[in-house]
Amino acid sequence: MSADLNLELSKSGRLVLIDAAGVRHENVKPVRLFPLTDATHWVAICGADGRELACIEDVSTIPEEQRARLSAALATRDFVPIIQSIQKIRRAAHGHEWFVTTDRGPTSFSVENDENIQSLSNGRLVIIDQRNTRYLIPNVSALDTKSRQRLERYS
Amino acid sequence: MGARFQTDLDASLHFHQGLIVLTNRRLLHVEQEKNGMTEFKSWNLEDVEELVIEEMGATAAMHLMQGGVSTWHWRITSGLIREADAFLARIADQQKTLRNDPSWVPPVPKDAEEEEDEEAFGDARKVAGIKGNPLIRLFVFSRPWFKLLAMGFLLTVAASSMVQIPPLLTMKLMDDVLVPMQSKTDDIHVHMVYYYISLLAGTAVLAWALNWGKTFVVARLAERVTSRMRRETFEHLQKLSLTYFSKKRTGDLVSRIGSDTDHISLFLSTSFIDFVCDVLQFLFTACILLTINPLLAVAALGPVPVVGFLVQRVRSHLRGGFAAASRAWSQMHNVLLDTIPGVRVVKAFAQEQREIDRFREADKHIFDTNDRVNKTWSFFTPLIELLTEVGVLLVWSVGAWSVAHDHLSVGVITGFVLYINRLYGRVESMSRFMASAQRASASAHRIFEILDVEPDMATTEGTLQVGRLKGEIEFRDVKFRHGSRQVIKGVSFKIAPGEMIGLVGPSGAGKTTIVNLACRFFDVSEGAVLVDGMDLRKIDVIAYRRNVGLVLQEPYLFFGTIADNIAYGKPDATRAEIIAAAKAARAHEFIMKQSDAYDSMVGERGQQLSGGERQRISIARALLIDPAILILDEATSSVDTETEREIQSALDNLVRGRTTIAIAHRLGTLRQASRLVVMEDGKITEVGTHDQLLQTSGTYARLHKAMQEVSEP
Repeated sequence: MSADLNLELSKSGRLVLIDAAGVRHENVKPVRLFPLTDATHWVAICGADGRELACIEDVSTIPEEQRARLSAALATRDFVPIIQSIQKIRRAAHGHEWFVTTDRGPTSFSVENDENIQSLSNGRLVIIDQRNTRYLIPNVSALDTKSRQRLERYS
Repeated sequence: MGARFQTDLDASLHFHQGLIVLTNRRLLHVEQEKNGMTEFKSWNLEDVEELVIEEMGATAAMHLMQGGVSTWHWRITSGLIREADAFLARIADQQKTLRNDPSWVPPVPKDAEEEEDEEAFGDARKVAGIKGNPLIRLFVFSRPWFKLLAMGFLLTVAASSMVQIPPLLTMKLMDDVLVPMQSKTDDIHVHMVYYYISLLAGTAVLAWALNWGKTFVVARLAERVTSRMRRETFEHLQKLSLTYFSKKRTGDLVSRIGSDTDHISLFLSTSFIDFVCDVLQFLFTACILLTINPLLAVAALGPVPVVGFLVQRVRSHLRGGFAAASRAWSQMHNVLLDTIPGVRVVKAFAQEQREIDRFREADKHIFDTNDRVNKTWSFFTPLIELLTEVGVLLVWSVGAWSVAHDHLSVGVITGFVLYINRLYGRVESMSRFMASAQRASASAHRIFEILDVEPDMATTEGTLQVGRLKGEIEFRDVKFRHGSRQVIKGVSFKIAPGEMIGLVGPSGAGKTTIVNLACRFFDVSEGAVLVDGMDLRKIDVIAYRRNVGLVLQEPYLFFGTIADNIAYGKPDATRAEIIAAAKAARAHEFIMKQSDAYDSMVGERGQQLSGGERQRISIARALLIDPAILILDEATSSVDTETEREIQSALDNLVRGRTTIAIAHRLGTLRQASRLVVMEDGKITEVGTHDQLLQTSGTYARLHKAMQEVSEP
């Protein structure tokens, strides 16, 4: 289906979808269906009303130029900092306070309870903080020893 | 060949045991009369037409029919009806074999007949269900780790014998070196001091190493045994039928798998091995004492029998106490598991204080039972200490006398006092073991209680492997008894492959039971459920359920992602399949709106989603396994009309091409059904299409009219 799609940018910089029938859909937004377990497959393009207009199964199959537009649109909506090292995890009044370095710089956040630390397959770990921001550890065993030890005590 | 049945009431409905025995050719009745006489009656099976059970409320009568009339009857409590049914089936079978057997000759030599009866009576005397001491079973349970057990045992023996050496060396040190030194004899070996002291240090180090190894090995063993116990108990629970779970409270089961296994672990890892050490050391010490000086040894060991006697007295008391404590824990778990999930109801009715009181009561029960145990305990331990002192005093008295008469050296008496302190230390910790053994025994009993429950619907029973079924379902004169209540009273109907029928009727008519029977959550009491012409009981349950999709009134979502929940029945489903199922179930759009789309976590009971959303996920779950048979149990009754429309269109996708049994109170939900089956009081009263049923103006017409009145006031 991706071959019949055409993604363009409007003058205001919004994403526009021209579907297989040639109809223009202004101001569409891409949604990753499996943002945590598989970010490069299954991207749905939704209309302004939230309905799905198209679904791209494999992002790598669409033409380069369009892929760039799609990635840019996804990137403006994406905010999943990747945790590179853990400086400290300490007990707080509600849950735990984490002090970490991410790919977007150092930060701290608090996690309410253990259920907000979700272990996915292949050692992936997602941490959801109190403000509903997601932090990702792509591979726990790739962390440095100190960080891993700190993590082990709390997950 | 014989069978027997124990009746529990007499003719005047007083509790009184009687026995009915079925032999090859006869039916016997034996009953002990109040005046001590035994009443005995016998019928030839060929003279008996049949036996019939008549239910009479909480009791029932078993009639012996001869010539169309009841010539004799037994009374039983209704709890025995199920067993009685089975017994009557045996009688009928036996009668059939008798009639079909052409070689059977009526007159039988009396001796042979007597023999038959004997056999049957012998059978009756056999007592079933001795499962053995839970602690012994616990060790049978640790058989896979025999090597570890043996190693632990060897290390224990080594460590125990190591402890015996220091007093011996001390004794030598005194008599050979210190005493001569003090009495300024010429014969002084100063270098021997270094020798003995380094030996003492050496044994201390060795004892430390051995103890370390012992503790490590034994803790490892205990962890493995209890882990196996937890695993097997849970696996066993998964095999048990719904009937078991409907009788058990969640809190009780949780506490058995949780805290009871913990008690056992503690027992195995510390108490048990300590006990073995203690016994060994006690025996070693006693032997050493006896060889050194028998007289002193007898004095020292004097109070031991007293201790043994006390231990016996206290033991049974403690076991009862610990069993009560475990039950009290279960009760507390029950309160927690009742109140926490039901917190909305608690708050809505402002019953927080009532729940607090309930919890307080459960908690008080725990400390009351513990207090009772502690009372015994606190008295017992110091008593042992007192007896130790008595032992030491005896040694000193006898020792002083012996030294005065030159029978004994100072070194020996010092050694004795060292030994005796150790000895009574052992006795004390042996008595401590008793408490933990009784606690572990009570806990092990509670675990084995679960493991001993035979799955009442053996999954091994049906072995017929089936692939994809066509989905033809037939109920053939099905009766079902729940406890003593007859829930389904003879129901017959047939559903063609791909047909949808609607089950309608007032609450308690038995609709859900029909569905449960079709899923084989229960087995029929009489009659049969046939699927594609095969008796459901002959089909492998797992293979059958792969063909069944179930959508319940209260959709249950497990803790996990939305994708996991949709793929619950088919864990290897591809993402494309999951998305397709969600789209067909009209769930795709709201899932996209979740913060992590299909990767969003749904809580313990899917709290973050609305009722309609949860329902659509459960419909997607049923769709994904592409079942031949679909069961909808009030799938739309917990949502509003708007959502119902959404769900209805999701259901329309689901129903297409599948044999469907749908239960609904909202009759509009069943518009796709080709036939409606109206049930009342466990029986089918009407069958037909919506229009046909309206014309007959029966129950359905009445229900329909009531619905109309509600929706259009």
